[in-house]
Amino acid sequence: MTSPARLKQSRSLRLYARLLELYPPSFLQRHRAEMLQNFADLEDAAASKTALWLLIGKDLAMSLTSDFFGSRLGHYVIAVLVTWILIFPIGYFFYGPTPGRPALHAFAGFLPGMLAMYVATRLYGTPQTSISHFFRSRFDIYVIGVFVACILLFVSGYYFYGPTRGHPALQVFGGFLLGMLAMHIATHVYGMP
Amino acid sequence: MTKSEPTLPLTPAVFHILLALFGKERHGYDIMQQVRADSGDAVKMGPGTLYGSLDRMIEAGLVAKGNTRDPRRIYYRLTALGQTTLRAETERLSRVARVARRQLGSA
Repeated sequence: MTSPARLKQSRSLRLYARLLELYPPSFLQRHRAEMLQNFADLEDAAASKTALWLLIGKDLAMSLTSDFFGSRLGHYVIAVLVTWILIFPIGYFFYGPTPGRPALHAFAGFLPGMLAMYVATRLYGTPQTSISHFFRSRFDIYVIGVFVACILLFVSGYYFYGPTRGHPALQVFGGFLLGMLAMHIATHVYGMP
Repeated sequence: MTKSEPTLPLTPAVFHILLALFGKERHGYDIMQQVRADSGDAVKMGPGTLYGSLDRMIEAGLVAKGNTRDPRRIYYRLTALGQTTLRAETERLSRVARVARRQLGSA
């Protein structure tokens, strides 16, 4: 068995411990210690770090996805995806294959926006409701960081591609913010899985 | 919720965990290694999949926790329902394999 000192030393283990925060708190309460020990054992036995992280990456993706889509919040996300899929052909039917394809651009921003907000809520908890606490929680700082990164990306895109018709960067940006907002509302209404 | 009747078919993960626990209590890492060996390296289970499955199996009454002195090494064991379910699933898979062999043999 791996010693507590060894558990403190490994950088991979520290990263894995951080990634475990993506699981529901009740699940971690039951299994965190076991999962960290298992990771340490897997790391000791692994032929290479790449093989280890491929296994762990696949495991995280499969178990988190399965848990998420089984929850009420997951059902909400499925409903949103189905709605988008229905809206897109309607837009395509009315506006045709326009060069900008605004619905597609907004959708491309919407999904990462939802994912970003979900990860932020899982890692940093729910945001402060009082405006006087703004900037004091890690969640607020994360959201502002994402916001600033989006603005920088948009400005860079605008600088390189100019004011093209349809402004794809703006549509993606708008979709991203909408996605964050949609997930923020959903986590309050349905709760985290 | 604990049931008294086995629900079949099982997922490959659940079947392999039940098989790994047959006749011996094991902790998580031991289960992962045994599953890998039993499946000839075909099923490589990570901690997230393992403990998610174990939670559901405990809830279904197939598996129970054994030694819990060390939170890093909790042992799991089969319940009577777990053993019945494992036998029933093995029998079901045998029947499927027999049918498949017969059809492949006649093709």
